[in-house]
Amino acid sequence: MRLEKCWFCSSTIYPGHGMMYVRNDAKIFRFCRSKCHKNFKMKRNPRKVKWTKIYRKLHGKELPQDTTFELERKRNRPERYDRNVVEDTVKAMKKISETRVEREAQTLANRMRGKKTQQRREDLAELQQGIHLVKAPTALLEEPSLTLPKEKMKVKVSVEQESKAMES
Amino acid sequence: MVHYNLKRITVVPTGKDFVDIVLSRTQRQTPTVIHKSYAINRIRQFYMRKVKYTQATFDEKLGTIIDEFPQLDDIHPFYGDLMNVLYDRDHYKLALGQLRTAKRLVEKICKDYVKLLKYGDSLYRCKQLKKAALGRMCTLMKRVGPSLAYLEQVRQHMARLPSIDPNTRTILICGYPNVGKSSFINKITRADVDVQPYAFTTKSLFVGHTDYKYLRWQVIDTPGILDHPLEDRNTIEMLSITALAHIRAAVLFFVDVSGSCGYSIAQQAALFNSIRPLFDNKPLLVVCSKIDLQSLESLPEEDRQLIMEMKKEASKCSGGIASEMMVEDDDCLLTMSTLTEEGVINVKNTACEKLLQHRVEGKMKSKKLEDVRNRIHVAMPRPRDTRERPPVIPAGVLEARAAAAPRAPRRLEKDLENENGGAGVYSANLRRRYILADESWKEDVVPEIADGHNIADFIDTDILKRLDELDREEHQREEGESEEEDMDDDEFRKLSPEEQEALAAIRLARRNIREEHRLKKTTADSRPMVPRKHDKDKRFTVSRMERHLSNLGIDPSAAAARARSKSRGRKRDRSLGYDEEAGVEAMDVEQPKSKKLRMKSRTRSQSRASMEVVPGEGFKDSAQKQQALALGKKAMKKRSTGKTDRR
Repeated sequence: MRLEKCWFCSSTIYPGHGMMYVRNDAKIFRFCRSKCHKNFKMKRNPRKVKWTKIYRKLHGKELPQDTTFELERKRNRPERYDRNVVEDTVKAMKKISETRVEREAQTLANRMRGKKTQQRREDLAELQQGIHLVKAPTALLEEPSLTLPKEKMKVKVSVEQESKAMES
Repeated sequence: MVHYNLKRITVVPTGKDFVDIVLSRTQRQTPTVIHKSYAINRIRQFYMRKVKYTQATFDEKLGTIIDEFPQLDDIHPFYGDLMNVLYDRDHYKLALGQLRTAKRLVEKICKDYVKLLKYGDSLYRCKQLKKAALGRMCTLMKRVGPSLAYLEQVRQHMARLPSIDPNTRTILICGYPNVGKSSFINKITRADVDVQPYAFTTKSLFVGHTDYKYLRWQVIDTPGILDHPLEDRNTIEMLSITALAHIRAAVLFFVDVSGSCGYSIAQQAALFNSIRPLFDNKPLLVVCSKIDLQSLESLPEEDRQLIMEMKKEASKCSGGIASEMMVEDDDCLLTMSTLTEEGVINVKNTACEKLLQHRVEGKMKSKKLEDVRNRIHVAMPRPRDTRERPPVIPAGVLEARAAAAPRAPRRLEKDLENENGGAGVYSANLRRRYILADESWKEDVVPEIADGHNIADFIDTDILKRLDELDREEHQREEGESEEEDMDDDEFRKLSPEEQEALAAIRLARRNIREEHRLKKTTADSRPMVPRKHDKDKRFTVSRMERHLSNLGIDPSAAAARARSKSRGRKRDRSLGYDEEAGVEAMDVEQPKSKKLRMKSRTRSQSRASMEVVPGEGFKDSAQKQQALALGKKAMKKRSTGKTDRR
């Protein structure tokens, strides 16, 4: 039993899922679902398709290479079973996985650095430009803050209240 | 020596057909178009080609016939004699000779006429020459016609001759007609020879094959022979004689002891004596057939005597050891009956044995055997001295042989399987043979997958070392990280909640504008847009405007008042003379006229007459609108069922 990687999107293929295509030159292509398979049949290059892992790594959206990836490597020569080794490996896998996740989070944070500032700047600009859509210029002159104006319409209920208030 | 296949000779056509074939072939295969205006050389070539082609065709066809028919001198004398008997040697030779002569003559004709054609001066002359040449060749063929017919018949008969191999082991059956020769051959081989009560049922030689001691034997059935001198014999009898004369075979002379063939034993004995010369150097057996009808013991004395004489002769002439010792061979006389099948196999076996012996003796006497014997030789070294030299066996091998005492049989997997329930029940534990560092690991359940990863991909003997390296890297990275800080708060401050509200409202407004525009854009061609001033659906009211303005932050009262004052109200309200509310005359009030008007004016009435045409509906006048409405009503009316409905 082996978990394979989808050739197109590089996601893991669990047993019982996906399709395998063997070409005449004996190269094997595994796909996790028909979406990837159909994209392949359309001869799309996964390096150019936005949602694949290859694209993301290539265009710097994700951690491209790391020692954690090198630790996970398909070995063609089987090793003789050694209980201690397997035990250590299982524990190490957990640790490696954790570090990998941390590092990926770090790359994401690096990428997103400066986003907040940019966002705020953009919001302010939008507010300044578009305030005329929700606040009349005269109201803006009276009240130069970039907020919604107070309603000036005479509502019947409030008038009665006012008169009541005045009476009392 | 050329090998003839007597069954595959090409068909010999009749004279007329022959001519037709050759001429039509010439006509098809040579060019046909010629004109007298062509160059004379070309004309000459044309006709010469025709003559030569005809000659070549004759040559070819006659050649094949001559080659395919066997030369009587080239084939085995048995066949030669057979064909002489059947087809008359002289006639055959003459026919073939005639064909040869014809071939030669055709060649001669061709040569002569080609020589003449070389000097033909016109188309007409050349044509006549060609005609003459071909004519003469064809006349020649017509003369040869009878030979061709004869050869065709010969060919047909030859194809049906039995394929007898004169050199192999053969058993020949002969005797008077109707004695039981064909029944015998039917019994021992798969040949299906006609057996009938009348004499001369078998009119030609028949071949059957049988097996004895893993060898193939030919059995030849001959037509019956009568007792008269050679010159008086007819063709059919001659067949048997020929066979007897030329084939070195074991001969079975059949004697009918019961006399049901119509001939007495005396007659049969006489025949035996007359063809005795033919039995020289052949193992001979006298077979008494039809023993079920008359047994040998119950025969009269004279007949018995004759049969004994025959037996004596038989043992004499088969040659070999018996004749040298002058002892009567008991084997020479056998009895059998094809009806009860007693003794049939015995006869066959005896005949085969005798022939085998005869052949072996012959081979032994011949020189060929010495050649074979000479080739086989086992060389033994000549002893130099009296010292013993036994074969050498290495000590290790001797020890191994000694040690290879029968050990206790090993306990095999098979035994284990049988003990634990047999093939379908027991499943061998392959782990028993694993070679591991620690034996207790053999029954371990090895995990393969963990957390979406293959464990086998991570297995490494120095995984711990790698892990340490990883830890170090992490430490370094963390230290590096803690130095950096997120410093983007200073430049731009956060928006207050009211400002965020405003932003949301702006975005909403933008979205609405976009939507409206898109809607307008798509429906512009399909629906007529009512210009706002007509406002059929009464969407644009003053209160709406008031609401909008107040949302924007402007006090709407002034604008609303202006809007209302601008619209003209009902006539009566516009009149100055009456003030409903106050009940006071307008003159009394000090306000100016225009202002009063403004205060009292109202918008138009909401209800409308159905005929009234609102601008924006698209009707010219109210009459048109009435018409349209009427048409609409009609369209909705239910028509009567029947023929009118379908129109």
